[in-house]
Amino acid sequence: MTKQSNGTMLRSERARILGYEPLDEGDWVTGLHPMDDLLRGERLPHIWCQGCGLGTALTTFIGALQWLEKNQDWDLDKVSAVSGIGCTGRIAGYVRLDSFHTTHGRAIPFATGLKLANPELKVVVLSGDGDIAGIGGNHFIHAARRNLDITVVCVNNFNYGMTGGQVGPTTPHEARAVTAQYGNFEYPFNLPYLAAASGASFVARWTVLHARQLEWTLRRALAHPGFSFVEVIAPCSTAYARWNREGRGLDEQNLGRRGLETMKYYQQVGRTVTDAHPKDVDIKFNAKGEITEIIEGEFLDEAKPDLKAAMDQRDEHAEKIWLAEKDAVDNRTEIPARKDHIQRAEVKLGGFGGQGIISAGRIIGVAAAIYDKLEACFTQSYGPEARGGAAGSQVVISSDPIHHPHPVEPTSMIILSQGAYTKYVPSLAPGGVLVIDDSLVELPDDHRTDIDTYGIPATKIAEEAGTSKAANTVMLGFWTAIVGVVSREAMRQAVAESVPAKTIELNLKVFDIGFEHGEKIKT
Amino acid sequence: MSYWRQPLDRKRIQVAHGIVHIIDDRCKGCGFCIEFCPQNYLIISERSNSKGYHPPEIIDDQQCVNCGLCALLCPDFAIYIEDGGTRSPDKVSPIQKGDANQ
Repeated sequence: MTKQSNGTMLRSERARILGYEPLDEGDWVTGLHPMDDLLRGERLPHIWCQGCGLGTALTTFIGALQWLEKNQDWDLDKVSAVSGIGCTGRIAGYVRLDSFHTTHGRAIPFATGLKLANPELKVVVLSGDGDIAGIGGNHFIHAARRNLDITVVCVNNFNYGMTGGQVGPTTPHEARAVTAQYGNFEYPFNLPYLAAASGASFVARWTVLHARQLEWTLRRALAHPGFSFVEVIAPCSTAYARWNREGRGLDEQNLGRRGLETMKYYQQVGRTVTDAHPKDVDIKFNAKGEITEIIEGEFLDEAKPDLKAAMDQRDEHAEKIWLAEKDAVDNRTEIPARKDHIQRAEVKLGGFGGQGIISAGRIIGVAAAIYDKLEACFTQSYGPEARGGAAGSQVVISSDPIHHPHPVEPTSMIILSQGAYTKYVPSLAPGGVLVIDDSLVELPDDHRTDIDTYGIPATKIAEEAGTSKAANTVMLGFWTAIVGVVSREAMRQAVAESVPAKTIELNLKVFDIGFEHGEKIKT
Repeated sequence: MSYWRQPLDRKRIQVAHGIVHIIDDRCKGCGFCIEFCPQNYLIISERSNSKGYHPPEIIDDQQCVNCGLCALLCPDFAIYIEDGGTRSPDKVSPIQKGDANQ
């Protein structure tokens, strides 16, 4: 042990790392203790009260790190500590690791980002019960659900200590706190159970009194791949112990050391159970809110794929699909571009959800933009219902660049339902072309006379060919023949590209039926 | 006590030994080390440190068995143990009734 003599070395090394020599060292002389290597001497002594359990929690954490460094060749430059706000949140500022002191409750989101950006890092979240289970409760359960490979050490002192001892999510029922002077009427969380139910793969709990066991557990938790959660029960000597029996022991010398009295209390009520089910480990308390039993131990340790492993697996799968799609796009059939000039043509498609109105619009857009090499713009509008509600889509096609993507006055319309007829037909430009499905739309007596109307029993034709789902393709063939903005070959390619592989043949067949029908009517 | 028979292989029994170092000025007098020392050989000292707390004091520096619990429990990094090798106990005393619970 030559820590005393290399104290100056540490100081110069720190100066090299920080880039400056801290002027005010306070009354803390660093380099006297074996753990001073991992403490930021310029920030110490710490703020924790006499008898607070947080110092012990930090000691066990550093002890576990030193053991891992010595026995498992851990590189402590690859360990990062993240803390939220609160007394426990100070830990990030005291350990000489790369550390984050984050906003209240958001320690786990910061840790998630850190871990995902640099998977080599061992990320440890050290924060209080109010920070992790109270304000950051949602982040906690979701990190556990994803089985993100971080270690969460939650130091539970049963209240919000830093702000003066307000009641928190872990305060026992009927226990007193500054904001619960007549006893807390809420019930506390069972944190190990919450973690286990959310999907954590390592769950443990110790009081700081069992420092040795806690250190062993921290070693295992840090080395565990996946979300590991350690609840550390620590006395809050100033706030919680003031109001509750834990701090009022039989102190013969009346030294007012409530932290010590609480530790002695933990000695009485702590019970080590090695393989308890997390649901049975809630902290037992009596009608006066006095803790009667704290079950301690490691409750869960299972091997589960962590978030990184699951993401990598998904990446492999996604890459295969992506490559196949890229292949299909690269090997698209080229057809000669349209030479003639197309004026701005606006197509409006209307019907109800499930008829393929949106995909029909998309097919027109693909045919025009990719195969005919025109300019095209496709927009869609539909209600909250995926099927059964009104659906519409719009395509604007032109040889010139399109400056306004939405139709101003549609020049042609494809209508597949009575509702869409009522809604859209009044906006059709005079002299425009209306294409309807005869079998679904009935023309009223006051039908517009300034437009050209063409009908085809598309649904019937599609049903005869095999499936009513292909009605939109029939309409597309019919519309292509009558309006002629997009070439037949381009439409056929776009249809083949857009429909499921099994139905390509059928769709092309009904497209041709629709097209020939249109040609016949036109002449 | 001296009438107790001593085992013949007493010399071969080796007990771990630790040298306790107390950094007085870091102590906040919480009393964890004194209360939970398994050998019960730390007491509150009469002197006070620069903050006005009474740091712990060693009664008998031969009794430490290098368990390290005081160093691990101390919240203020004010106490640690140096490995002092092993030593043969001077005598083996019988376990008194009730000792195990203390």
